[in-house]
Amino acid sequence: MNDTVSKFSVNDLDLFYGSFQALKKINMEIKENEITAFIGPSGCGKSTFLKTLNRMNDLVENVQIGGNIYLDGVDIYSDIDVIKLRSRVGMVFQQPNPFPMSIYDNVAYGPRIHGIKKKNQLDEIVEKSLRQAAIWDEVKDKLKKSALAVSGGQQQRVCIARTLAVEPEVILMDEPTSALDPISTLKIEDLAVELKKDYTIIIVTHNMQQASRISDKTAFFLLGEMIEYGDTHQIFNNPVDKKTEDYITGRFG
Amino acid sequence: MDSRKMKDGILQGLIYFSTAFTVLVLVVILGFVLYKGLPGINLNFLTRMWDSKTTFVKVVKEESVDNNTKDGYISSLGITIDLDEKNKVYITEIESESPVKEAVNLKNDSYPIKKGDIITKADTTIFENITIEEAATALENGNETMKLKVVRPGGGIIPMLVSTIYIILLSLLISAPIGILAAIYLNEYAKAGRLLNIIRFAIQNLAGIPSIIYGLFGMLVFVQMLQMQYSILAGALTLSIILLPTIISTTEEALKAIPATYRQSSLGLGATKLQTNYKVVLPNALPGILVAIILSIGRIVGESAALLLTAGTVAQIPTAFTGNEAAAATLTTKLYWLIKESGDLSGASSIAIVLLVLIIVLNIISKTITKHFLAKQGNK
Repeated sequence: MNDTVSKFSVNDLDLFYGSFQALKKINMEIKENEITAFIGPSGCGKSTFLKTLNRMNDLVENVQIGGNIYLDGVDIYSDIDVIKLRSRVGMVFQQPNPFPMSIYDNVAYGPRIHGIKKKNQLDEIVEKSLRQAAIWDEVKDKLKKSALAVSGGQQQRVCIARTLAVEPEVILMDEPTSALDPISTLKIEDLAVELKKDYTIIIVTHNMQQASRISDKTAFFLLGEMIEYGDTHQIFNNPVDKKTEDYITGRFG
Repeated sequence: MDSRKMKDGILQGLIYFSTAFTVLVLVVILGFVLYKGLPGINLNFLTRMWDSKTTFVKVVKEESVDNNTKDGYISSLGITIDLDEKNKVYITEIESESPVKEAVNLKNDSYPIKKGDIITKADTTIFENITIEEAATALENGNETMKLKVVRPGGGIIPMLVSTIYIILLSLLISAPIGILAAIYLNEYAKAGRLLNIIRFAIQNLAGIPSIIYGLFGMLVFVQMLQMQYSILAGALTLSIILLPTIISTTEEALKAIPATYRQSSLGLGATKLQTNYKVVLPNALPGILVAIILSIGRIVGESAALLLTAGTVAQIPTAFTGNEAAAATLTTKLYWLIKESGDLSGASSIAIVLLVLIIVLNIISKTITKHFLAKQGNK
């Protein structure tokens, strides 16, 4: 299992919302250039855990975090600026949420806030990102049109392009296809597989088939605990823990 | 069954009656104002100063081309005169090369004579109970450098219009930035809790205080304590305080309507909070903020009580921020003054019509802006 490098190392991570413990002693190594899937029933903490990886939980009030998360060996809660962290660890949200601006401006938003102003440089980044997100051909003629005017599946790929434009190392996807139709879902899945060559991808999903189709590793969460973590093939075919087996075979969830 | 039908009928009748009554009242009020005020609205009313102004001027005459003073034409001055209904001599026409355009007052400042000015004296001839011929002859045969006593007639609302615009601009310049920034603080930065609740409570209550109390405060603090006297600055500062709660709460509503996901995705891309506010939050709140500003303009245009106590009722174009030169009557305070001091209901109604038109125009602008921005964002 140690043939690739660890991108994230999580040590004894606890997370409290006020007095409620949402995550309990999570330990995990996430590998580079792989797709890691988090599965589990609603409220199991998988999305919460995902958000600790780029500190989006900082935005929620009354959150307390114990333990450590290392990105390439650097503690992300003490030794790195949160702005820097978020440009290295991008995020794609559950609902497609482009800004109410043109497609071009959406994708150029990240580079612009990080100080890139030259038009030709921005043009290049926008095209490259949209190509990477496999949506260039569909939108190249309407870059100046509002991003809200395209379909939900296209919006989500614009959002992915927007994330890619910042050139992150890791992309966090929080149920990126739950609001999309099956065809758009397949496109996003293909895209994720394509992107893992260059990026480390961590995806939260409710869709078991999706996890088994695209991920290399799968982690199963239940009530704030990580029950089992391993190769996707092993988790789905030969789970060690009884609870994992029950969930995967559909006995609860 | 029948009683139920009857109840329905009565209630329905009541509803129709109430609506009809409301509409009727509106129509009657508007009709009355229009009936009283429309006759008084003309170009002079819209373009002239309020008070008449008497000035002595000196004009260097040109050589006379023809001495025919018929029909009130005076060739050495390049003007045509006539008698008005009160038998006063006034200027109906000024030629483009006329020397009266070069006229100077007694301080030798330029004071060009305009169409409509009344001449009451030429050199030593007093123009009273005079025929056109006599007046024209007196003007034609006067000294080389002729001394004229000229009355520029008033009766117009220009000073009030200008003062209203000055006060709108000044008040917004003060209250809009403060209000918008305060709303951003309250909505984006302040932590939920007791203090925030107290601040919100205070703002809500400030909005409900009668404006005359703000006026009293403005008079005590700005006019007297800070010695601004009745002035546009004192008025604008007082109005700014009145406007703040509206601007803050309207802007806050606009900020609240912005989906949290916009902020999250911006922060998720590595933007700072300030960048997020300034690049995503504020642009999206802009239509709401503009509406807040237009509502504020409406409020300023309509405010009278607070301004009576802080800006005064002098019908002049203010030329300073504080002091005597800065006292200013807006349209509404003048309207009040007209009814209260001179009982001039038709004049007041004419001003009321101007105010109504202003408010309607503002409302149309605010609707257009909102529509335009919604269309631009692609979420009509």
